[in-house]
Amino acid sequence: MSRAFLLLRRRLVGSVFVLLIVVVGTFLLLEAAPGDAVDAYLVSTGGDAGLVEAMRQSWGLDQSAATRLANYLWALLHLDLGQSVAFSRPIRDVILERLPVTLILMGASTALSFGLGSALGIYAGARPGSLRDRFLSTASLALYAVPGFWLALVLVIVFAVDLRWFPISGFETIASGKTGFARAADIAHHLVLPVTSLGVIYLALYLRMMRAGMAEVWRLDFIRAARAKGLSRRRIVLAHVARNALLPLVTMLGLQSAQMLGGSVVIESIFSVPGLGRLAQEAVALRDTPLLLGIILVSAVLVILINLLVDIAYAFLDPRVGASEAGA
Amino acid sequence: MSDFSLTRRSVLSGAALLLASTALPTIGRAQEPQKGGRLTVAADSEPRNLNPAIVASNGVFFISSKIVEPLAEADYEGKDGLSPRLAVSWEGSEDGKSVTFKLREGVTWHDGKPFTSADVAFSALQIWKPLQNLGRVVFKDLEAIETPDEHTAVFKFAKPTPFQLIRNALPALTSVVPKHVYENGKIEENPANTAPIGTGPFKFAEHKAGQYYRLEKNAAYWGKSEPNLDEIVYQVLPDRSAAANALEAEEIQLAAFSAVPLADLDRISKVPGLKVVTKGYEGLTYQLVVEINHRRKELADVKVRQAIAHAIDRDFVVKTIFLGYAETATGPVPKNDKQFYTPDVPAYAFDVAKANALLDEAGYKPGADGKRFKLKLLPAPYFNETKQFGDYLRQALAAIGIDAELVNNDSAAHMKAVYTDHAFDLAVGPPVFRGDPAISTTILAQSGIPDGVPFSNQGGYKNADIDAIIAKAAETLDAKARTDLYKEFQKKVVEDLPFINVADWTFISVASDKVGNIADNPRWAVSNWSDTWLAQ
Amino acid sequence: MRRLASAPEALVGLGILAALTVMALAASMLFPGDPLAIKGAPLLPPFQDWSLPLGTDRLGRDVLAELFHGARASLAVGLAAAAAAIAVGAVVGTLAGFAGGIVDEALMRITDAFQTVPSFLLALAFVSVVGPSLTVVVIAIALSAWTGPARVARAEVLSIRERDFVAGARVIGMHPLEIALREVLPNALPPVLALSSVIVASAILIEAALSFLGLGDPNRVTWGGMIAEGRTVLRSAPFLSIVPGIALVLTVLGVYLAGEGVVEGTAVRKGLS
Repeated sequence: MSRAFLLLRRRLVGSVFVLLIVVVGTFLLLEAAPGDAVDAYLVSTGGDAGLVEAMRQSWGLDQSAATRLANYLWALLHLDLGQSVAFSRPIRDVILERLPVTLILMGASTALSFGLGSALGIYAGARPGSLRDRFLSTASLALYAVPGFWLALVLVIVFAVDLRWFPISGFETIASGKTGFARAADIAHHLVLPVTSLGVIYLALYLRMMRAGMAEVWRLDFIRAARAKGLSRRRIVLAHVARNALLPLVTMLGLQSAQMLGGSVVIESIFSVPGLGRLAQEAVALRDTPLLLGIILVSAVLVILINLLVDIAYAFLDPRVGASEAGA
Repeated sequence: MSDFSLTRRSVLSGAALLLASTALPTIGRAQEPQKGGRLTVAADSEPRNLNPAIVASNGVFFISSKIVEPLAEADYEGKDGLSPRLAVSWEGSEDGKSVTFKLREGVTWHDGKPFTSADVAFSALQIWKPLQNLGRVVFKDLEAIETPDEHTAVFKFAKPTPFQLIRNALPALTSVVPKHVYENGKIEENPANTAPIGTGPFKFAEHKAGQYYRLEKNAAYWGKSEPNLDEIVYQVLPDRSAAANALEAEEIQLAAFSAVPLADLDRISKVPGLKVVTKGYEGLTYQLVVEINHRRKELADVKVRQAIAHAIDRDFVVKTIFLGYAETATGPVPKNDKQFYTPDVPAYAFDVAKANALLDEAGYKPGADGKRFKLKLLPAPYFNETKQFGDYLRQALAAIGIDAELVNNDSAAHMKAVYTDHAFDLAVGPPVFRGDPAISTTILAQSGIPDGVPFSNQGGYKNADIDAIIAKAAETLDAKARTDLYKEFQKKVVEDLPFINVADWTFISVASDKVGNIADNPRWAVSNWSDTWLAQ
Repeated sequence: MRRLASAPEALVGLGILAALTVMALAASMLFPGDPLAIKGAPLLPPFQDWSLPLGTDRLGRDVLAELFHGARASLAVGLAAAAAAIAVGAVVGTLAGFAGGIVDEALMRITDAFQTVPSFLLALAFVSVVGPSLTVVVIAIALSAWTGPARVARAEVLSIRERDFVAGARVIGMHPLEIALREVLPNALPPVLALSSVIVASAILIEAALSFLGLGDPNRVTWGGMIAEGRTVLRSAPFLSIVPGIALVLTVLGVYLAGEGVVEGTAVRKGLS
């Protein structure tokens, strides 16, 4: 118990520094960008010199970068994410509106890729070197090589335009008035294609890791012992080989959580899903520094939390962690 | 000249054929407008401010014009190209210092309060003049508004202001918002800016960020027949190919503003149940312009600018980049403008040999590698076509020995680079022609504009003759004399080329055959759609 | 020989990469001049005109010439980004592992920060801010890919630094920085280099995704850029996005297969010795 507590404390202290680096780094990056939020706004409206000046003033962009960073950090200390310039709304509201969508999309994609990926990996790894192993490992490699956006475009044309099995875009039917289970089913129906496009590349990854991990475990002594004891092959595969090969996948789960949000930028815009990835892209285009900071902060906190959970789970699952912890 | 008329004719007949072939099935059906239904429309962006009185731009009008109405709307037949909306008549005084509007009676706001001249006075003095991106120019001398009764508003100007300009500005610049909603607190922060309240045929219902806007029918609309549709939904589709797919899958019924890429129109026009409509955007013409930085010594030479003008194959641009959905430009006013356009300007035919000769004459002989000099070329990123034209222009310049390097900026960076930092040699811009040179094309030639003003002359060009014409036109009250001045302006601009006009284009709509009464005025996409209907 | 025969996948991978290298090297000879030059009527389908075997794009540019020149850009992006990421990662990882203490702590928190931000988002923001060119895209990809090599290098250094030869170097009075870079780094490198195929492949994919979002270098042809150009006519001229798409998938596949073959090969050798 105390080991988990120590790990938790160390992680939390470290996380504060990590978050500070992320915030200051993102701020400086956007500060270096040519053009500010007013420039981005004027693209669609135009305006004369006086109007431009007045807008910079009312959006607080006439202050120096250092002042704005200090103000931002000070507000952040009070858990205030500030006001979005592009949407003229509190950033907390803008993000909270999109967060559930992102969490559902990520959660479903992770479940699909991890669940199906590890299952297929076990299937392939149960008989290393067999035909099905060769086929699955090559097929997964091919899937891994297909760009997500490319897959998304093809899926839309085949399954939404031609076959009309799934809707082309959106998160749910517009103003449908559905509630409860009907609404959940509606959302699920909308998310089949985006979740597939986003999850397939990770499915391939988990499949390959599982298979490779199992190949390693097969060689170990205790498997030979188990075989000598006369346990059934199915039992050995599931209870011993797969269970031990699963551990690195759990670590990967933590590492991939950050990457998936990046991949969702393209997928969300192709499928018009109102999630955080698309919002982040808009924030960059509109030079909405506080909004981008807010999104990156929220996603960083999420990533840190997920990794913490993964580590704690790992500490309980694998007795060897205690020995190697000193080096972590 | 004969070259140009040929192209023009072929383009027009092409468009007409297209219209005829796709419109035929509809003609066979019931022509009687039907009531009810939800029209779902593609939208590619979500404006932060939906108040058209503050932000006069097409992106805002596309949604808000159904909710908030102007004093008058553009019209194919009406006098001066207008049809009345919240004003029933307008008249300018001899001295150009006052304009009298008679307002419509029996109009109510969506919250039930009556619409009166006080609302017009408030909108004009508190919003259009001080806050609106375009109103700040047109109404800069507006001093006071007299409201002798509830349905009369008399605009008083400190200096004579051409009535022709006011008239041309009515559709885009005069959206009226309710005084009682806006009079307390800061106007820019009023909640009605994101949930507008107006007098139009549709009421704002809800906005789900990143998903859709929904408008509901206003049953108390003043129009003779109340709106046909029950609902309009704008579905946000940020991806460029989404609108075409959604139309084909019958998830939406209309994609306006060329949301379906031009390159896809030929295919989609053959999809049963869909029609391609080229009408309804005549009042929203965009100009494809090469902006020039005259601070570059080579470009300060008119011969070099003429060489560039000769190097551009305008027919190729119209045919290949715009797939025929545009017209070649002869000068700073588009051909489809009935009031101001003149063909009587110098012509720059596509002639690579002549362009090379002009550059030799100017003293820029090619070096050993065949290159004369290097340029930085910044195409505006807002439209597919401006970027593609950038790709083309780089090749066209290479053919005359000018080595152009393309810079691919995003929108904000492009604004800053061109209009504030002047960090460009050539730029490709899509300025809007707003029906009057005073509020559009002249600011690309006029000198003395401060740094940072978007879509204006930031190339350091200065020509006393052109400045004098612009200044004189601004105070010329007689419409005929004013028009002649702008014809003179066109001639001078094409002679001296402060910027090069390449083509003028309007947008295309793709709609389901079930949608009726579309494209029935020159600003249809940004008008109120009260008579648009949907076959059930 | 036996090893390669037992891994036909690796042979296929190496074959693809060899073909690609030939394409990239031959591009300027076979298709001299600017591959973006307008060569014929726009949207000519493939196999119609033998002077333009793969047809033309929206502006009438030769698709085959673009494909060859694109091979060069895609390979260059992949290799340059991987080289930069591995170089930075190896140095940071070695320094952190060898120095330990506060330096280690600081470098690792920075690594954490980079790993916490989604790498594609970082690349996207960086390219939008600096403005797209091939160099900027390479830097953006390297920025988001150096953390993996850094962690592997650090772990490796931790196990190496207590070995005899390092202690020996200390005894003869070598400067710690010299020991880190000349004695430890070379020994820590092999497992770091094993990551290179994954990084090259993902660099090529990230470049394609950035181009797809309009953040490519308009003066150069890349396959990602070609797909982005072709997608507006995806339904009416699908070959324009399918041709570069297939090239992209084959390349990434080739890099993976070859990379796996090499890793497995070395594993086999290790097992035998």
